[in-house]
Amino acid sequence: MSKKVVIPGELISAERKRLGSNVFVSGGKIYSKVLGISEDESEKASVVPLEGRYSPQQDDVVIGVVTRAIFAGYNININSFVESFIPKSAMRDDLKVGDLVSAKVEYVNELREADLGFARRMYGGEVIEVSPVRTPRLIGKSGSMLELLKQGTGCDIIIGKNGRVWARNGNIELLKKIVLFINDNSFKSNLTNSVEEFFKAEGIPVSAPKKDAIRVNNFVEESEVIVNDLEESELLN
Amino acid sequence: MSGRVRENMPDYKKDKKRVDGRKMDELRPLSIKVGVIPNADGSAYLEWGQNKVYAAVYGPREALPKHTQNPLKANIKVTYRMATFSVPERKQPRPNRRDMEISKVLGEALDKAVFTEQFPNTEIAVFVEVIDSNAGSRVACLTAASCAMADAGIPMKDMVAATGVGKAFGELIVDLNKDEEDAFDAVDIPFAILPNTKEIVLLQMDGLLKKSEWSEIAKLGYVACEKIYEIQKKALSEKYQLSEVSQKLIGDKSVSKSGEKDSAKIKKESKGKAKKVRK
Repeated sequence: MSKKVVIPGELISAERKRLGSNVFVSGGKIYSKVLGISEDESEKASVVPLEGRYSPQQDDVVIGVVTRAIFAGYNININSFVESFIPKSAMRDDLKVGDLVSAKVEYVNELREADLGFARRMYGGEVIEVSPVRTPRLIGKSGSMLELLKQGTGCDIIIGKNGRVWARNGNIELLKKIVLFINDNSFKSNLTNSVEEFFKAEGIPVSAPKKDAIRVNNFVEESEVIVNDLEESELLN
Repeated sequence: MSGRVRENMPDYKKDKKRVDGRKMDELRPLSIKVGVIPNADGSAYLEWGQNKVYAAVYGPREALPKHTQNPLKANIKVTYRMATFSVPERKQPRPNRRDMEISKVLGEALDKAVFTEQFPNTEIAVFVEVIDSNAGSRVACLTAASCAMADAGIPMKDMVAATGVGKAFGELIVDLNKDEEDAFDAVDIPFAILPNTKEIVLLQMDGLLKKSEWSEIAKLGYVACEKIYEIQKKALSEKYQLSEVSQKLIGDKSVSKSGEKDSAKIKKESKGKAKKVRK
């Protein structure tokens, strides 16, 4: 399979093909909409974007920042075009401006406004900002990259699809370095292997997880951790 | 040619060469670099002859004030400005009639290329700043702005390739410079197309032209825009080949040694740079 960088308006295929994402048809031919990477020989004509802003999709896990607290609820910045709103009735605990929240996108309307659900406040940790279109590479095929990152750095990690990576405990400095490395080289293949080598060079033993053994559970698993640690962090404060 | 030729004026019909030594259909040297402004969503730097232009794209983002929002499409808001030192005589920094006009026509040209209906209630802000100029700055800005838009990941039907075409010293030429623009018989036509469909998205004209001359000039314009499109294409894909080289460097040498340097390099190159939002 040969991959190539395509620019907006570049011809993807002159034949009829199944249409994937980020392509459009004009005069019976398929063209790319965005700057991205396309595979010539696949049956589906689609382009993986290299740049772009986050546009919310249903079931995305996002990490938001509280930008405004009013009587009825909170405005949450999820790195999208418009801010989302969470009513106070949906939140278990009070939020302040600047608090971090993890949530799931429940519904997106035609104006691309997102309704959030399962919102939880996040205690402690740091956020690394990356390009939203590159977060799939941070998770990897069936979560292999995420598993590797957790193993290598010992961090608790939540990857928000909106380009925010939340991490706590473990070697966060190392994680930052690797996340930015992946962010910069997201268009390369075999990233999991290079990251594995990266860890080995740092002297950290990791084993690439078997692909079928992993389940992506980016959300539920981590939110349980938060609940368990809630009391602990309150004691610390 | 008319008999009004003044003394010491070049005559392109006779010389077969232009004042700066170019052929009639030759462009000035053009180079584009993409992704030069880390804080922008997309950016480009362009050098075209003496023209030097920066373009930065922000968005799509919420259009404010709210009454500017269009629930059916995104607004494209172009801001064309010239630096005070970009012309021989100091330019007043206040936006003048010309700045506003160019901002408007550039916005309309880009609007034709972008899938604006995908982003209701938003605006896409494009800032083009002319650092140095020598005729044809609006087409330079349009070429740079369309590269910056692609770099911002905005869905587009096509790139916008633009060039100046026209007439000077009795011959039909491409990409006029300042001397040619000031010629006694000068005709200057900014000309922009969508290369796939050959749709014209910007066409203005200074001067007088015969109908037959125009059809010749349009042909020249299409050919020149194709050349510009190729340069844009190269500039955009080059960004992702450069990082390939840097990755090879990291892969070859032991990673642990170059840890400090690498992270500095990565931070420098990274567009979505890391921010500590909250500790």
